Amino acid sequence: MSPPLLEVRDLQVRFLTEEGEVRAVEGVSFNLQEGEILGIVGESGCGKSMTALSIMGLVPEPGRVTGGEIRFKGRDLLTLAPDEVRDLRGKDMAMIFQDPLSSLNPVLKTGFQIAEAMLAHRRSDKPRALRQAVDLLRQVRVPAPEQRARDYPFQLSGGMRQRAMIAMGLANAPAMLIADEPTTALDVTVQAQILGLLRTLNRETGTAIILITHNLAVVAGLCSRVIVMYAGQVVEEGSVFDLFERPQHPYTWLLLRSVPRLDRTRSERLRSIEGLPPDLIAPPSGCRFHPRCPFRVERCFTEPPPLQEVGPGQRAACWVTMRRALEEMDAADLLDVRPGAGSGVHGPTPRSPGD
Amino acid sequence: MGTQPVAVTSLLAEPMVRRRAGLWTDAWRRLRRNRLALAAAAYLLALVGVAVLAAFWTPYSTTHQGVVLPYQGPTAAHPLGGDALGRDVLSRLMGGAQISLLVGVGTQVVVLVLGVPLGLLAGYFRGWLDAALSLVINIFYGVPDLLVALILIVLLGHSGLGQIIFAIAVTRWMDMARLVRGQAMSLREREFVEAARCCGSGTFKILSRHLLPNALGPIIVQATLGIPQAILFEAFLSFLGLGVQPPTPSWGSMAADGVQAIRISPHIVLAPTIALSVTLMAFNFVGDGLRDALDPRQRR
Repeated sequence: MSPPLLEVRDLQVRFLTEEGEVRAVEGVSFNLQEGEILGIVGESGCGKSMTALSIMGLVPEPGRVTGGEIRFKGRDLLTLAPDEVRDLRGKDMAMIFQDPLSSLNPVLKTGFQIAEAMLAHRRSDKPRALRQAVDLLRQVRVPAPEQRARDYPFQLSGGMRQRAMIAMGLANAPAMLIADEPTTALDVTVQAQILGLLRTLNRETGTAIILITHNLAVVAGLCSRVIVMYAGQVVEEGSVFDLFERPQHPYTWLLLRSVPRLDRTRSERLRSIEGLPPDLIAPPSGCRFHPRCPFRVERCFTEPPPLQEVGPGQRAACWVTMRRALEEMDAADLLDVRPGAGSGVHGPTPRSPGD
Repeated sequence: MGTQPVAVTSLLAEPMVRRRAGLWTDAWRRLRRNRLALAAAAYLLALVGVAVLAAFWTPYSTTHQGVVLPYQGPTAAHPLGGDALGRDVLSRLMGGAQISLLVGVGTQVVVLVLGVPLGLLAGYFRGWLDAALSLVINIFYGVPDLLVALILIVLLGHSGLGQIIFAIAVTRWMDMARLVRGQAMSLREREFVEAARCCGSGTFKILSRHLLPNALGPIIVQATLGIPQAILFEAFLSFLGLGVQPPTPSWGSMAADGVQAIRISPHIVLAPTIALSVTLMAFNFVGDGLRDALDPRQRR
């Protein structure tokens, strides 16, 4: 296999706040191959956006990347000079955001903004850049691109704005596009169009895409591989098929059960995940999911599980894994998903002094 | 059913024309509806015309004495009469308009050059730069304007137009710097700035392309409203004898001359003060009109 386009190793992001150090990202590692679409899933605050911003070199104050390695095209972004990273941004890697209206400058015409994105990296004259901006708008399927290029962002519809954002991201044909919740602010029909557009662009241009979302349906429709994050860590990684068919981490499993499905019988009740995401200033000991996990065992309270192979191309960070939970704890029929409900473990056994 | 096609074609024949309104066209439309601001703008345009004219031609010399009897009231040949030294008041009023406008606009140019970059940099970078700027601004606010202007005028030596403009600007730049700083501070957190950074835009580009244009509305309003303040300050300085030196006419020094004869010939003091008041009001009306037109939050 060729070397990956992006290689994130043991990434650590911390925020120094008055209440203490927030460990937003703690030892995240993953690869992105050329032309691949990778999904990063997790609830809000799990560190997925911070991971993306670290790659772009744009972690906001007072956050800092405190450890790890981000290799992009073989170069470690964390050791590059700020100017070199800035040059990569927009040219080799681009990012699009959740709310396309606030991501576009309200006083600049759409076409001009796309042209600007091009001119930031290429010597070119303005009329030519503007023509290319129109071409880009056409490429992202904006109807009547000549007219839309002359419109201000507030004159465009939500879907059109997101297309314009994508056009801006693609302005310099980057090798990697990070899409942070690109469809969350759009209605469902437009969501589908935008996702379809991303898939087409991925095929046409070969741009690798990292899709960050909390929406599992979005992941299922678009990605080939998925990373599930919880409390700043990767808890499971695998192909979209394996992850949806055979989730091995209880968090992934519960996440999937909390999504309504058409093919599920009425008797199967929709389950939410009990509890709240942990405080990242003082994260739980052991496995960070153990305070909410129905299948926890004693080991989970003390020892953090490593991310290990649970099947071909699938890895999970769990001492139990769903395979065991399904076999030994009747997870499939479990109605009660309160912490420890499956395993019957409600706390660590107190150590006797003799231990 | 027979009528339906007719309805459809009539719809097609007159497609709905979408108003292509940008920010500035929009603002202009709103400004046009504001009659008061428009009238004030017309007056100011006329005043600029008069000031330009005064540079080449006035009915009489602005400085020659004895072209009219001292304390002469208005006559057909001298519509605004003569002053204590027998100079034509109308001619001097026209000359004074030139000074007032030059000082007003000149001061704001200096204020913009000083305040906008400082405010942008402080608001965008925060940190020590911001702390230093805020400290300096607070010190300037603490010291009386007049004192600063007086000291500067004394230090710079008496007293060309340039010195006066500079002295007034030094007491007036803080409002602009603070306004721009506040704008920059709120704009830097906006997502489009982050998006611009994601596109690899450098600091200069972000400041000039993204922050400045978005702050332009308030800046224009502030500058417009700053002009009458500067004009008034110049008139005040001239009234005290510290502004434009005689015999060059200034509305302030004309008023000072006229005050002494206010009982016997009030027209000498009335002419410059009325001109001053109307001009100040006109600038304020235009400024208010621009604020309403440019500030989207006040849109009705």
